[in-house]
Amino acid sequence: MRRKTVLYGLLCVLCVPFVFPTWWMVTSSLKPVGQIFASPPSLFPSGIDAGAYRQVFTLQPFARQYVNSLYIAAVVTIGTMAVSSLAGYAFARIRFRGANALFFVILVGLLIPSEVTIVPLFQMFHRWGLINTHWPLILVPIFGAPSVLATFIMRQFFLVLPKELEEAAQVDGLGRLATFWRIALPLARPALGAVAIFTFLQSWNLYLEPIVYLSSPERFTLPQALTQYVDAYGGPMWNVQLAAASLTAVPVIIVFVIAQRQFIEGLAHTGLK
Amino acid sequence: MKITRLLSLGLAILLGLAACGGGGSGKDKGEVSLRMTIWTNNADHLKLFNGIADEYRRTHPNVASIRFDPLPVETYSTALTTQIAGGNPPDLAWILENTAPDFVASHALLPLDDKLKKYPGYQYGDLAAGPTRLWRQDGSLYAYPFSTSPFGVFVNTDLLKKAGQKPPAAGWTWDQAIASASAVHQRTGKAGLVVRDFDYKAWDNLATVWGGWGAEAWSEDGKTCGFTKPQMVQAMTFLHKAIFDQKAMPGPGTSPDFFAGDAAMTITQISRAALLKGAKFHWDLVPLPAGPNGAYNVIGQGGLGVLKNGKHADAAADFLAFFTDPANSAKLAQYFPPPRTSLLTADALAKSNPLLKPDQLQKVVLDGIANGRVKPNHTGEAEIAQTVRAALDPLWRPGADVPKVMASVCGSVQPLLAK
Amino acid sequence: MTVRTPARTAVTGRTSAPRKAGRFWTARRRDHLVGYLFVAPQLIGSVIFVLVPLGMVVWYSLNEWNVLAGTFDFVGADNYRRLAEDPKLPSVLTASALFSAGLVAVNLTLALLLAVLLNQRLRGTAVFRTLFFSPVVVSLVAWTIVWGFLLQKNGGINGLLSVVGVTGPNWLRTGGGAMFSVIMVQVFKNVGLNMVLFLAALQDVPASVYEAARIDGAGAWRRFRSITVPLISPTLLLTSIITVVGSLQVFAQIAVLTQGGPGTSTTVLVYYLYQQAFQFHQFGYGSALAVLLFAIVLVLTLLQWRLRRRWVFHEA
Repeated sequence: MRRKTVLYGLLCVLCVPFVFPTWWMVTSSLKPVGQIFASPPSLFPSGIDAGAYRQVFTLQPFARQYVNSLYIAAVVTIGTMAVSSLAGYAFARIRFRGANALFFVILVGLLIPSEVTIVPLFQMFHRWGLINTHWPLILVPIFGAPSVLATFIMRQFFLVLPKELEEAAQVDGLGRLATFWRIALPLARPALGAVAIFTFLQSWNLYLEPIVYLSSPERFTLPQALTQYVDAYGGPMWNVQLAAASLTAVPVIIVFVIAQRQFIEGLAHTGLK
Repeated sequence: MKITRLLSLGLAILLGLAACGGGGSGKDKGEVSLRMTIWTNNADHLKLFNGIADEYRRTHPNVASIRFDPLPVETYSTALTTQIAGGNPPDLAWILENTAPDFVASHALLPLDDKLKKYPGYQYGDLAAGPTRLWRQDGSLYAYPFSTSPFGVFVNTDLLKKAGQKPPAAGWTWDQAIASASAVHQRTGKAGLVVRDFDYKAWDNLATVWGGWGAEAWSEDGKTCGFTKPQMVQAMTFLHKAIFDQKAMPGPGTSPDFFAGDAAMTITQISRAALLKGAKFHWDLVPLPAGPNGAYNVIGQGGLGVLKNGKHADAAADFLAFFTDPANSAKLAQYFPPPRTSLLTADALAKSNPLLKPDQLQKVVLDGIANGRVKPNHTGEAEIAQTVRAALDPLWRPGADVPKVMASVCGSVQPLLAK
Repeated sequence: MTVRTPARTAVTGRTSAPRKAGRFWTARRRDHLVGYLFVAPQLIGSVIFVLVPLGMVVWYSLNEWNVLAGTFDFVGADNYRRLAEDPKLPSVLTASALFSAGLVAVNLTLALLLAVLLNQRLRGTAVFRTLFFSPVVVSLVAWTIVWGFLLQKNGGINGLLSVVGVTGPNWLRTGGGAMFSVIMVQVFKNVGLNMVLFLAALQDVPASVYEAARIDGAGAWRRFRSITVPLISPTLLLTSIITVVGSLQVFAQIAVLTQGGPGTSTTVLVYYLYQQAFQFHQFGYGSALAVLLFAIVLVLTLLQWRLRRRWVFHEA
């Protein structure tokens, strides 16, 4: 019994730095600016002032930026799932000449922090006239270094997946593509789920790339937009910034809490254990 | 089977979205659309700009649109240069005084003299020499200093009264200012004096303090570091004492806002007067306090230039001339003190600045513009600013060794200045 | 992979295939082709967005590009000479090393601790698991901005501390405090990921092994050290590689929380690279820094991979 109390106590204390920031963000976004730095911090707003939430949308095309972030993350997620499941399957299942060498070439991407290649990529997209468009934020994650981890995860998954079903299908005359599409891919659902979560979060969090590539507010993504709630001639906009931050965080948290089981167990399936 | 259907649907969406996601660049055919990057996001400012732009478009049907692109001031110069590097330069851009030398020296801007001189009714001769100096090279004007904004001290007279302090008047000194600020903090718990936007990072705002000691960040020719000069060391010692011993100024890591009533005094540009619309306290605007070196003035400037590599440089220059002609300059003057001699009178300014009294305008704005020093500026500004910021950081803690920190500032910045 | 003679392939070719392969398009060849086609998007992407840019970084590092003036000049090894003489570089590398070492140590320890706690037979662990994991889904910049407020001198953390009678430091304005803060903010954000991976690994350790050890009289710590750690060592290795490589890429946290300060105490290599390239617009020197960063990551990964033999109990 004492052991249990100690364990629960420990868990509760450890929880604070994980939960308090989110709680503080949401409640403070409803406080008037003057109360944000009240000491000790108040856990509840004294009265609800939703003015900050209105300002979020008037100061920047926030709805548009929300859509930008969402659609970019969605496109990147789907694209990465397609590219990485194809490549991962091929590397795990199909014996073709040079497979190992090619796999090694692709693995280089795993070792390259995106900051290393940001300058040449910036120039490449500049040459193609794609600066201040969403293309760099879509193409690079799907085909470039960030998707290599996804390919790796998919390959690991297919390596340990029993072959029998696919072999049976091929004996029945199904071609490679059909076998992949109708047999292997549905079986790979857990790994695909993990890849989807990883990829979505990665794209959703992207910060360096948007601030480098994008310059007009209506093309901004959320992380970039969040840091723009400061104004040369306005007062501090802490509550507006917090309101915007809450708007980006809370919906995702809700989705996560609803689907947390699939979410966490999906991640446990990355084959990284 | 579900997952395969989902994937194929997804792929279709992917292709569709990607196809429309990237569009948007270079759409104009024959028609001109102009873009101006600015660093204000104030609704009143934008309304004024858009009004002027609409008027211009009525007489210039070839201009399809004029867009004002607000970028946050903290990262303004970085963002602007990145746009230029990315081959997406705006047609017109505001330029901060600290990057003026970079822009003027690199010839990235279109010389404006011919256009402005020829523009009907422009009265080019009306432009004052002082405010345009920073923006000229070899006789050519590369940007129009649309805002020449002196620094003054806004005072919350209610808060001072509450702390039993006399409101300051012209001719006051730094010693008096710090004594009052210290008293306010002691008696009310609110902040005394805030150098606005400094926040222990944007150190160039401290020029509004060290000017009283006759100190400067670097020599006139920009080649020699000035932080180790005795005037600077004295000024910084005074500042350090005011922050950490007398608690007259809020220390690092706190951010009281004068305009929300959290501080008794703040040093900032008069363009911030707009924030006092509907203020819940009584306030005054006074000139910077005098230092041991006597009275002094500091100005911040914003220039408006045309990017030479923009798509419609000529049309942009034409709009610039319209935007800054005598009539529109008068409109802009309510927020941005213009460089036009005819508008730089207390009466003219009072008409467009209902919040400020003619006396305040005369003492702070006109005297400020007449003999103000522009805030520190240099070529290679970004790197110099970062280097000085990093080297100054050790100063912002109790018991710092001021001369030693100043020596390290010069040690790290001198190689950059000498370049 | 070694089969070459078409004759042999024809013999072993699947006769049940409905569409007979032509003489050239044997099943084997078709399989090769399918393999290439499947990896093509990833491969071409890797070439365009990884290998070519990597080569270009090396080329840029031999040039200087002035954005405002629009010039691009070959300068040879100048940028590398500058790298060797840069007075700021030692402090930048120290900050990077401190950050990475601190992050990896705290992250892995805390992740393991949380995983072990959640692996106890306790009611409500799913709730705690959700709570510990929740920051992972909060947008990184939002998370960092909130911590930026909380870590102010008069912010929420010091407010909480004052409730217990402790006067907190000025977290972001002292060198050590800023580094500590940046590390912890990052740990709290992402430790949930490693925790979940560890938890999955722990759950794969058969209970019978523990039982046997308990009967042999091994204490809790002993059981943890001699059973748990070796059995989950493959996971430990992979998570540590990912965490180390990830720690070298940290950018948003620094940009939002400290901008590399105070002084240069939190100017890590990636942030310095960003400053040089995109703030000071010295793309050539920035590229030289990028080459250095790549070399560091390469060496670290190879080192960890080497250690694996000594370190990891068995291969998964």
